[in-house]
This record gives sequence, C-alpha cells and structure tokens, in this order.
Amino acid sequence: MQTIKNTYKAIYYKLFRVDDRLLLIVAGSIAGICSGLAAVALRLSLESVMELIHPLRHYWWAFALPAAGALCSSFYLEKISREGAGHGVPEVIYAVSRYGGLLRLRSSYSRLISSFLTIASGGSAGPEAPVVMSGSSIGSNIAKLLRLNDRQRITLVGCGTAGAIAAIFNAPMAGLVFSIEVLLGEWKFVNIIPIAIAAVAGAQVSQAIIPEQVLFNHQPFNTMAVDIIPSLCLAVLTALISVLFTKSLRKIAGIAKKSALPFWGRAVVGGCVVGAIGSFMPLVLGEGYHFIQSMISGSFSMGIFLTFVAIFAKIFATAMTLGWGGSGGIFAPCLLLGALTGVAFHKTLLFLIPSVNCASEGAYALLGMTGLISGVMQAPLTGIFLIVEITGGYETILPLILVSSISSTMSHYIEPASFYLKDLIERGQFMRPGTDARILSDLSLNELIETDYTKVSEDMVFREFIDIIKQSEQNFFPVVDETQNYKGVILLSAIRKYALEPGMYDMVFLNQIMDTNVLTASLEDDLQDVLDSMELNNMDRIPVVENDRFVGMIAKTRVLDLYRRELIMHTNIQ
Amino acid sequence: MRFYKTIGVYSKLAIIKGTKKEMVLSVSELSKHLGVEQQTIERWIRQGKLPVSQMGAAYRFRASDLKKWASKHNLSLNLETQSLPEKKTDPLISLSKAVQNGGLYFDIPGDDVESVLKACLGMISSVPDEFKADLLDRLIEREQALSTGIGNGIAIPHPRVPLGYLKEPLVAVCFLENHVEYQAMDQQPVGALFLILCPDLKFHLHLLSALSFCLRDKTFTQFLKSRPEPKALIEKIELLQTANTF
Repeated sequence: MQTIKNTYKAIYYKLFRVDDRLLLIVAGSIAGICSGLAAVALRLSLESVMELIHPLRHYWWAFALPAAGALCSSFYLEKISREGAGHGVPEVIYAVSRYGGLLRLRSSYSRLISSFLTIASGGSAGPEAPVVMSGSSIGSNIAKLLRLNDRQRITLVGCGTAGAIAAIFNAPMAGLVFSIEVLLGEWKFVNIIPIAIAAVAGAQVSQAIIPEQVLFNHQPFNTMAVDIIPSLCLAVLTALISVLFTKSLRKIAGIAKKSALPFWGRAVVGGCVVGAIGSFMPLVLGEGYHFIQSMISGSFSMGIFLTFVAIFAKIFATAMTLGWGGSGGIFAPCLLLGALTGVAFHKTLLFLIPSVNCASEGAYALLGMTGLISGVMQAPLTGIFLIVEITGGYETILPLILVSSISSTMSHYIEPASFYLKDLIERGQFMRPGTDARILSDLSLNELIETDYTKVSEDMVFREFIDIIKQSEQNFFPVVDETQNYKGVILLSAIRKYALEPGMYDMVFLNQIMDTNVLTASLEDDLQDVLDSMELNNMDRIPVVENDRFVGMIAKTRVLDLYRRELIMHTNIQ
Repeated sequence: MRFYKTIGVYSKLAIIKGTKKEMVLSVSELSKHLGVEQQTIERWIRQGKLPVSQMGAAYRFRASDLKKWASKHNLSLNLETQSLPEKKTDPLISLSKAVQNGGLYFDIPGDDVESVLKACLGMISSVPDEFKADLLDRLIEREQALSTGIGNGIAIPHPRVPLGYLKEPLVAVCFLENHVEYQAMDQQPVGALFLILCPDLKFHLHLLSALSFCLRDKTFTQFLKSRPEPKALIEKIELLQTANTF
C-alpha cells in the first residue's frame, strides 16, 4: 500500500511539479470552465431580467430605472464588497504586472453583481469587462489554492480571462488574443497553450448551456475590391470616434470626481441622465446587442442624421453610466458604437454616390465594430478575431484587417495610451514585463543595500581616522554621534588633501570635515525615486538613513548588477 | 492540502533506490553563490524564477535543477566550491620573520656599490647560484636608476621585479667592512644594507613599508650602529612592530 502511494506521489511530482506545463494546462482549463460558467450566468440572468423589465419602459418613471440600478450597484460596491466602480480591467492589468496576478476572491463575483444591476436596469455598459474581472480573479484564486508562484498565477489569470471572454462571446480565439494582447502584454510560449485551452473550455461551456452558435447571425456578405477604399475611410472615421469615446469617458468621469455629490448622488444623477436619453432613444440603454443584430442583418431603420445623433448619444450615455457610479465594461458599447458608425458611414456613402456598388450595410457595421474595438483598446488582433468569431464569417477578413490596423494605428497616434492603460500610465503603474519600471519596482532597497560599513564617531581625532583608513577598504565613512545617530558622511576623495598633510592630524575632529549636506534615502523609498535623485545630484552612491540611524549604502554599481540579473532572468524563462 | 509535501517523499524514494544523493542548497547558501540578498532569492521563488523544491517548511534547491536553470539563462553558476572564491588574505610575512629568513652578515668587503652587492649576494644561500649573476645585474640596474640609500648610512637595495624562484621573502642585513660611497639622499657613505628579496610584489611593498617605519625610529638607527647580534636585532624589530599598525 505504501509503495503504491509513494509511486503515485512520485508520478504526481514528475508530471506536475518538475515541469509545470501539464499542471498549468489542467488548472487553466478548470479556470476556463469556471469563468465560462460565471460569464454564462451573467449573460443568462441579464437576458431574462431585461425581458422582465422591458414592459416597464412605457411608464413615465422609466427614466429613473437606470438610476435605481446604478444606485444599487454603487451601494453594493461601496458598502458591501468595498471595491471601486468602473470596469476593472486596468486593475487586473496592474495586479498582473505588479503583484503577480494576485486578486481578491470577492472580485470574482462582486463585479458580476454590480454590472448586472447596472446593465439590467438600462445603464449603458457591457457585461464583458466584469466577466474579465471575475474570470481573472477565479484564475488567480485557483492558483492561490494550488500554491503556485507568480509566473504560474499570471498564466492562470490569463486563462480565466480567456475563458470568460470566450464564453460570453462564444469566441475562443478572441478570448485567447484579448487575454494575451491586452491583459498579459507578452506572447510567451508557456502562456499561450494553457490560455488557448482555457479559452476553448470556456467556449464549450457556453455552447453547452446556450446552444446558439454565433452571437450575431447574418447573411453571407460579399465584399469586393471596390470596398477597400471606403473601408480605409471608415477606418479613419472609427479611429476618430474611438478617440472621442475614450476622451469623453475620461472627461465625464473626471467631472464626476470633482463634483461634491456623494457616491450615491452621482449614481442617481448619472442614471437619470441615461434614462432620460433612453426614453427618447432606447438604443443607448443596456448592452444593445439587439440593435447590433438588426444593423448587421440590415433591418436598421434610422436615417443618416439620427444615426449620427445616436453615436453621440451612446458615447454620452456610456460615459455617464461608467463615470458616474455605474459598473460595466466598454466592449458592448464599443460594438454598438462601431456598428452605428459603420451604418452611418454606409448611409452617407450611398447618399453621396448613389451608384456605388459596395457591400451591404451589415458588412460595414462589422467593419465599424472592428475599427472601434481596435481603436479604443489599441488591440488590433482582438478586434479582428472578435468580429470574425461573433459573426461567424471570414468573408470580410481582408477589409477587417485593414480597418483594424489603420484604426488602432491612428488612434495610437492621436492618443498614445489605450483606454485601459491610460489611468495606469498616469498613476505610474503601467509596468509590462521586462520594462524598466517593472524591474525597478521589483527591486527593493533592502535587496540592494550594502550594510557592512565601519562607522566613525564625530568626536574622533583626524589622526585616529587616518589609522582606520589605513586598514579599511571603504571610500565612504558614515559619521555618528555618541547616541549612534547619523550626522554626516566623509568621502575619502573629498578629504584627500588633508589626509596627506600630517600637520593636520591632531588639529581637527571628524565633525569638522564631514559632509552633512549629502542627500539620504530611507528604506521605504521607491527605487525609481532614489535613482532619479541620485541622477539629479550626480551621486554614485547614497546613504540610507532610517530613524536617524545609518543603515547602509545604495551604490549604482550594485543596482546595475542586480538590474542585469533581473533582465537575464526575464528574457529566458523556459 | 499540502501538495509540496510529496517532494520530500520523492527525494526519499530516490535515496532508497540507491541513486546518489544530490547536493541540495538552502536559500542562504544560494544567496551566497549568486551574490544576492536572501530577500532577492525569496522574491525570485515567489515570482517563479527559480527551480525550487519545498521540503517541509523550508525552500531547497537541487544542484541539478539549478545547473539546468543557469544554462538556460546563460548564467555562470559554480556550485562545487562551497562559497564564492574568498578574498585570499595570506598572512603577510612580518619583518622580523623576513630578517630571520635573510640572516645577518658582518664585515662585507668591497669599495664600491657593485663589489659590495656582489659580496652580499655571495653570502645569501637562499638565492640559487645560477640566478645570482642575473640578480646582481638587476640590483645594480635599480641603483643606477635611483639610489636606494635612504640616509643615515643605510641603503635598502632591491630588484624591481619579483623573484619567482624564491620560496619565501627575505631581508638580508649586511654590515659593510668599510663605508661605501652610495649617492645616498644625505650624501653620506653607507655602512649597512637591508637587501629585500621577494617572490611576490605584495610582500615587497609590505616589507619596504615596515622597514622604513623601523628606520625612521632614531633609537633603531643608533642601535644598528652597534652592529647587534641577530637575536637582539630581531627582538628589537618585533618590539617596534608591535608599536606599528602594520
């Protein structure tokens, strides 16, 4: 019996711990299934509740519905789960780059609930970012349960995300690509396989529960060479719209932050505004998949002018929902905006050149969606694969790639940071693996400090100090007073001319020659700041003083030494 | 659920099977090998950058895993020597010991620098005979470049290059029969030579500095003029050395 047990354990160790690939694949597929279930649960409950609420829209007080939803949502986030509003993707990216993907367990359901409340009541947001948060948190917590290390945990976070996106759109490739392109930020062999499998697992879960095959059904499109030029123009238009969308989201959120209203007040105001817009233009309410479907199948009935108005109304409604206390993602608003842009562009094109023989309105709606997703997230591959998969057709792939690449390039040109990364960059929290900021944030002063320094007393006679110099290899001596408090430093290079003058040996005390104006650091300081101030003051080394006690020195040579190691470690893991 | 526990069992299995027991390192040992702080090693473990096994509560590294890891990252990792090559602090030879090695010689004949040095070398048995001619050339060459007469009738002739054939550094003290014109700093003729011969430069500097410390002492130079016995001279040097920090 014992032998069997030992053999089992040996096999277990061989399979899972020596090389973690198999472990990651197994754990990743579990993460994919779990996050897929979460995504499906959100989607199904949204569908059923929206059906329930739909009849209420005809009452005069319907405009207050989004307000009630946003109020509940912000109350839930602020008071019960104590998490910030918004969509959560930047938080996941930050957790991945800074804390090895460590996320709280409660994040796996809190955003689901809050975004459910927001969207079901009519708030203009999408359910995708919340499931990303939830999926990544599921992955992270599976890794925590298995006691995996940071690298493996990050892979599982990617797996959870991929499973969630794959399940909610029934689009495994989009899940894989989004997870790697947006969330992890590096294409590494060890990541791709488990994430791909998790994405497939998530999509399978979704297919098993919701048997429909693609999100948006449509007739086959015929795109021809003629469509290339209009799609280039559309790409430019979508880039502009996506920049406008990103900017207004941030601007309106900024206004909300400045307002003196309490969080619930903001939620009420934001919700009422959205509800009011929605009572004139129901298109802006909720995720809007229904309208996307009608645009793709060509049964969308608004005129050119109204379509353009709808674009701006949707932008404003989304910004009011997300910025003023609601919770949800920008995926679905992007898709709707893109479809609207595509349709508006197509209508304008036909209006200007009635004889043009281009593809149908639905095809342009697709192109517009790609353009907006790529432009807002600056993730061209995600845009391409998502649209291909949710519409189940490869016929439009050539214009899709064109629109996606041009739109993401242009929006990157106008606004170098994507919507997800803008906040992180502003807060200095954007640290992709292998970047300078990442390495510097990994290294703490504790790891770099050199502590074996001989201290000298400020009451020491110079002659005694000369004797110490003779036996020491230090170039730098911290000076302390009788209570061991740090007073200043003596640099050998600074006192060389006195050291060669025996006549001075009995004339001076160390407090007369020490330098008291040297900049010091403390152990809690950020390495980035310490290095910056060393750079500014042209110092090679800086003393570290903690509570008036000299702790040690940080030398640039030592920083370089460890910095290089970190880079080597990073460049070649498995 | 402690998954890692199994690793301990596995390593025990390996021992039962009779395979050779592998070298296993702890965090602090590895931190010495890699020259980083223990905190750094712990962070690398957390981030999954090191191949670690957990035995009980402690982290352990197997040498074979580490080697594989190091070669993957182009890192040089020498686990065989137990720690980083420690800075060799050879005990520097003391001046009194060097004088013991070299010995004292009295009444060296000769009228000029060259003949005196030649006579001195003839006395010193530590220098193999076949090298004596070469050494003499080197000593004279050094004297021509700059006289080693440091005043007070004392000179410290030495070659400018280390002598690999010597087993130990030595200082030979030679008292001359006649004072010899040596072009010393104070233009006085020289009556005593301290011949410094070393297999390595670091001994040379050390002995030179120790000797010049002794020779700065007035009582020591007076004492030398009395042409002391070897034992008395060595005792005197030892006495002075304890006063010196060298």
